Amino acid sequence: MKKLSLFFFLFLIAVLNVFSQQTKVVSGIVSGPDGPLAGVSVSAKLAGNTVATNEQGKYVITANYADTLLISAIGYTPMQISVGDRDVIDVDLSERITSLGEVVVVGYGTQTRRNVTGSVTKVSMKQTENLPNTNVTQALRGRVAGVQFIDNGRPGQSGSILIRGVRSLSGSNAPLIIVDGIFFNAGIQNINPNDIESMEVLKDASASAIYGSRAANGVILITSKKGSTEKPQLQINLFSGAADRAHKVKLLTPERYIERMRDYNIQAGLPAAQLSDYLYPSEIANMEAGHVNDHWKMVSQNAPLVSVDASMSGRTKKTNYYLSGSYTDEKGLMLNDQMKRLTLRSNIENQIANWLTIGMNTTFITRNESGTLPAASSNIHPYSTLYYDDGEPRQYMLPEDQVSQGNPLYNALLNKNETIINNIFANFYAIVKIPKVNGLQYRLNYSPNYRWDHNYNFFRQDKHESSNTTSAGKFHREDFDWVMEHIITYTKQLGRNHRLDLTALYGMDGRSSSSTTANSELFASDILGWDNMSLGTLFTTTSSASKQRGVSSMIRANYGFKDRYLFTFTMRRDASSVFSENNKYALFPSGAVSWLLSDEGFLEKNRLIRYLKLRLSYGAVGNQAISPYQSLSASSITRYVFGDGGTSSLGVYPSQMPNNNLKWESTYTGNIGVDFELSEGRIGGSLELYSMKTKDLLVQRSLPAMTGFPSVWTNLGATTNKGAEITLNTINIKSRAFEWSTNFVFSQNKNAIRHLYYSDADGDGKEDDDINNRWFIGQPVNVAYDYVFDGIYQKGDTYPPGYKAGDVRVKDLNGDGNITAAADRTVIGQTGQPKYRWGINNTFEYGNFSLNVFINGMQGWISSIDLVGNGLQNDRNFNRIDHGWWTEENASNSMPSLIYTNPLGHGYYMSRNFVRLQDLSLSFNFPGTWRKMLKLTNARIFLSGKNLLTFTKWPGADPESGANQNGIPLRKMYTIGFNVSF
Amino acid sequence: MVATLSCSQKDNLTEVPLSFLSSDNVLNSKQGFEQYITGIHEAARTQLNMIDYNDGFINLQQGTDVACNGELALINYGNWVTYLTPTRPVVANYWNWAYRQMLVRSNTVIAYASKPELSGIWANEAEKNAIIAEAKFFRAYTHNFLANLYGDVPIVDTIYSAPKADFVRSMRKDVYQFAASDLEFASQWLPETVDKQHEGRIVKAAADHLLSEVYISLGEYDKAIASASKVINSGLYQLMTERFGLHKDEPGDVYGDLFKPGNQNRSSGNLETIYVWQFEDQTPGGQGGQNGAGNPSLRYWGPFYVNVKDPAGYNMLVVDSLGRSVGGVRPTNYFFYDIWAKDFNNDIRNSEYNIQRTHYYNNPASPWVNTPVLEAHKANIDTFRMLFPRIRKVLGNISWKGAISAVNRGYTSSDFIVYRLAETYLLRAEAYMKKGDLDNAAADINKVRARAHATPVAASDVNMDYILDERARELITEEIRHVTLARTGTLVERVRKYNMREDTRTTIQDYHKFWPIPQSAIDANFDAVLTQNPGYN
Repeated sequence: MKKLSLFFFLFLIAVLNVFSQQTKVVSGIVSGPDGPLAGVSVSAKLAGNTVATNEQGKYVITANYADTLLISAIGYTPMQISVGDRDVIDVDLSERITSLGEVVVVGYGTQTRRNVTGSVTKVSMKQTENLPNTNVTQALRGRVAGVQFIDNGRPGQSGSILIRGVRSLSGSNAPLIIVDGIFFNAGIQNINPNDIESMEVLKDASASAIYGSRAANGVILITSKKGSTEKPQLQINLFSGAADRAHKVKLLTPERYIERMRDYNIQAGLPAAQLSDYLYPSEIANMEAGHVNDHWKMVSQNAPLVSVDASMSGRTKKTNYYLSGSYTDEKGLMLNDQMKRLTLRSNIENQIANWLTIGMNTTFITRNESGTLPAASSNIHPYSTLYYDDGEPRQYMLPEDQVSQGNPLYNALLNKNETIINNIFANFYAIVKIPKVNGLQYRLNYSPNYRWDHNYNFFRQDKHESSNTTSAGKFHREDFDWVMEHIITYTKQLGRNHRLDLTALYGMDGRSSSSTTANSELFASDILGWDNMSLGTLFTTTSSASKQRGVSSMIRANYGFKDRYLFTFTMRRDASSVFSENNKYALFPSGAVSWLLSDEGFLEKNRLIRYLKLRLSYGAVGNQAISPYQSLSASSITRYVFGDGGTSSLGVYPSQMPNNNLKWESTYTGNIGVDFELSEGRIGGSLELYSMKTKDLLVQRSLPAMTGFPSVWTNLGATTNKGAEITLNTINIKSRAFEWSTNFVFSQNKNAIRHLYYSDADGDGKEDDDINNRWFIGQPVNVAYDYVFDGIYQKGDTYPPGYKAGDVRVKDLNGDGNITAAADRTVIGQTGQPKYRWGINNTFEYGNFSLNVFINGMQGWISSIDLVGNGLQNDRNFNRIDHGWWTEENASNSMPSLIYTNPLGHGYYMSRNFVRLQDLSLSFNFPGTWRKMLKLTNARIFLSGKNLLTFTKWPGADPESGANQNGIPLRKMYTIGFNVSF
Repeated sequence: MVATLSCSQKDNLTEVPLSFLSSDNVLNSKQGFEQYITGIHEAARTQLNMIDYNDGFINLQQGTDVACNGELALINYGNWVTYLTPTRPVVANYWNWAYRQMLVRSNTVIAYASKPELSGIWANEAEKNAIIAEAKFFRAYTHNFLANLYGDVPIVDTIYSAPKADFVRSMRKDVYQFAASDLEFASQWLPETVDKQHEGRIVKAAADHLLSEVYISLGEYDKAIASASKVINSGLYQLMTERFGLHKDEPGDVYGDLFKPGNQNRSSGNLETIYVWQFEDQTPGGQGGQNGAGNPSLRYWGPFYVNVKDPAGYNMLVVDSLGRSVGGVRPTNYFFYDIWAKDFNNDIRNSEYNIQRTHYYNNPASPWVNTPVLEAHKANIDTFRMLFPRIRKVLGNISWKGAISAVNRGYTSSDFIVYRLAETYLLRAEAYMKKGDLDNAAADINKVRARAHATPVAASDVNMDYILDERARELITEEIRHVTLARTGTLVERVRKYNMREDTRTTIQDYHKFWPIPQSAIDANFDAVLTQNPGYN
């Protein structure tokens, strides 16, 4: 198969090469909104020439007839223009975000927006440059239709990304991240957002199929910056801010806490006449002395943020460079939560000869995420005693030591932690223009990604404990990933009507990882910490290692007829070691057609419709997002000591069920898209409808305990995702001084399980559900399946045996008078992802001021949250969410009494719907006269607020991430920043 | 370039695990089989400590005639109807322990050892069969536990290499029968004794002891008597009657010596013990369980005395000799008083060395230090959880891992006796009694009573209740009482009669004679119906 396609490819090249290679001289003037632009790079792709515009914006270049001019300059949208018969080509570069000539990265190449056939959303970094984002995901949150980014509130952490919903039941749903063309396995938090030129999100199969086996969850392409002007540019960005909780959890106040403890005793039939019946003496003493704990103050810290970033870039005739460095120091809201990140980047490209260009993009990142966070912080009750008089933390919050309620600060203060993550990622490439064959090019990529990180812990002596509490652990890990790719591309214009663009790839990749953990306990002295573990008495060492390999080949053909009928065909073949012996290989084909209606005669003269494109695509992509060795049988080890004073014996036991048939999961996606621009570009946008079917799902299926194993990785069934995405950009008002523009995105995704095991054991003619895994035919992948809450039993009601007033009543769904697990549980709602997501961004520009307001929301999801506390031990002295409780006097019909034991084990479900004012920023651009005076090319100052308002009924720390009572809250941040370039 | 593109794809995509083992590459030598056997021993011990507290072992002692839930706020068996449900974690915890740990590990050894291609690794048939015998002992131990507690359960006699969801429950007697045939094999091939370095391994007497119990459940009393007699007549075991061991010169008596630290294994001179779970402090693998801290018996069974205030207002302090017990399992007054009856003063099992009934204030800051807690004070003390007689059997050396955390100072490094000869006598007595031979039943019981200096029982007084009382006197904290009562079908009636908590006594229903089948097992087994026990819906 592969060889055949190669011969076909070479044959095509030979035939097409017969056509003209004549060159000519083209000239023109490049202008921006304020007049001619100097130092703009103009290159002719086929002829391989690059020139820059002079002070008057003029360029002269030798190009082929079939050539395409690439015109680019920092701060402007690059353009591609076909040369054709023209001798003079004047170009207007625009700063506008939507532009049809905009170059879009599509994976293994670029295309202009008008020529793209698949569903590709470009995220301009311009939109978010005034926002204090230290992480790429923050820049994307809510801004791309169909994409969900969830910030987990931690400084420097990546959160999670989901494109067009959940496909896989238990394989990873994280999209593939590609940085400058190479798989990036290191985590998106390693990337300095200011190094990014653009990001493209590939959503349909046609766009993503070139990444075949890894693309099932969508692909995010990240392109780092390059130099584009002859005059070297120096740019400095600086911002600093402070943070608070975006959304506050309502915990029991001291008064409510006392009330709750008292009501518990009353309901449990225990004495409750006086405080000492339900509070501990130390609590009463604290109360009388006026010592009240604000749980939040005890576990939080000031959360300042500082970020500095500097870059230098430029290009000469032969060389193009971009160098940058950034430093971010960010503190989280929780005590000890912090991140310091240093990044360095060097992108250099040199044209050694007309036919040879060599370049290397390299980045080094080091992140320091040291610190031990407090444990379940909201458990701190108002009158607990957290410290001894000498300031040392207590292990338990009640000095009487009667209740095993641990002090959340104990570990945070006694344990020292150092977590450092380092990463070097490089991409070396060589581009060879094959002599004598115009448009034929070979590219070699070799990209190593080396990561090493460590995590050290030392638990010091608790001065108030007689036993030795010391222990230390050192964890070291090394990861080495590599990618080697050979890519051939061939571009050919055949006469005026036919344009052909071919790409072929052969690549190999590998990943290896190894780690070692050394632990030492019972230190003779704790002064040296983890640096001398020999001071301990009891030692354990563990290590692990893994390796995986992949081989890929791919061919893609783009064909354009009259530049308005565009076709793309892609075929990729992938192999991965992680699958079972018989299923290493898989084939992923895809195709797409697009039709530029606006170029047709019947619309060409239409003044309203400037641009209208219809896109259709269908194809397959795969998912290999499982760890190595999952198809193999595995055993784990344990230890036992026979005899008194005996030595430790090794024990081995089976721990993983094998699966000799584990294979690729494939997703087949059909996509219909419409792109449009109306009214001179005042209204633009796109509409996407898609239907995805995923089969042979990679699933970690829970097994009956009787099989001996908890779960196994297997392929089964099928899921579908159907949805719609709307992106709308409008310029609502545009006058000389004032402009108001709006960007609106909306997406809706309906996810359903179609098949599981194709079994019908109960013979009812319908495929069986898998209740234990909570998987139901026709329902979304993540659902709450439970008894249906039906209020609270009140005094005088008839109770089931064992029940009493104040207990939860659940619905008798089948009306047989009994509550049974078989008949009275049902699907209550969708969890995990919302039904609808939307975001609306408004930009107001007046003179040199610009105001940006971004609101986003998600609707149609629920989650279970603990609202009643631990039913087993409700008397214990915890603080918790104040969501009320049933008492005889105040007979709630929504919350049970404090002694309700939840015999059915049901959950409490709350909506996670929210609307959030996510970003608000005001910026001021220095006017030209100021800049001239200060000799600056550009200068801007901005004020920004993040997560300022959240509207939700979710009682936990954050609805978007689903953080519960003890979850880490999202930060509300206020920042001031400064960008300057010269 | 063409060469590169078409270069061979013979890249090695075959996976070779770098850092984990598999049955195929371990179970090809005798040493490998020994390692798998060790794996089963580790699993067996976690029956005691795999889950700390609420959802773990205390559920197998509470809710009985001899013990109740000491912590009123803990809902365990407070209301049987709403507590013991198919979704209650402990119900699945022990089910999963049995199938996911015990049976899969045992069956793997049995399946591999019988492989003809491995015949070369064995010196002889006996060597191979000894390995299989030890695995079969554990397989029988587990099936017997399941049948006792849950009633009818699926028998699992093989290993699975593909998902399966159509298990069905076998009749309880078939489960016992299956266990019996495993034990018959085990009895034939297990060694009679093991050397000091291997203490804790399974010996022939352990199989015979358990087989005797299983035969009783099958109603085959003669066989039960024969099996127990094999142990009793082996010449290897004897009820200890003289002081022995590491602490024999300290004040005490021989019954107390049986449980002193370091005295559980046979090499200490304790010729009574047959199967002992091994604990060893500060050695990897010596503790096991959820907290990696050792034997939690002390923590569960002792009073929560740190909450006791002396008349001057000083709390008692945790001291290492007593440990930090929390009264999770509160022995009933039926155990503390009623069952000793007229032997209260002469039965050494009730001596001050074995049940401490006088407590002393111990806060050195208080003027009351070292003075006894008097009856007069008790009016102000919660004597349900905080202060009750202390069964000294569970005391031991506080394990280091337990000691670093104040709440865990209830873990000891004492070995835990699973089977000892006194129980073998009581099993044989039970078989004789069931068979109608009360004289021999009384004779066996009196062997045990004689060592305890208790008055002999008359044959006419021997019945199931008497044997259960005797088991409580002799085996409290050692036998898994909830399972014993479920095995003998006496759980419901004895809880109603003797449990100390009114709610526990009054809410138990007849159907509670078995635990429910976990809902998670029923849900997962969707290719066949795994029926629920009656009463649990």
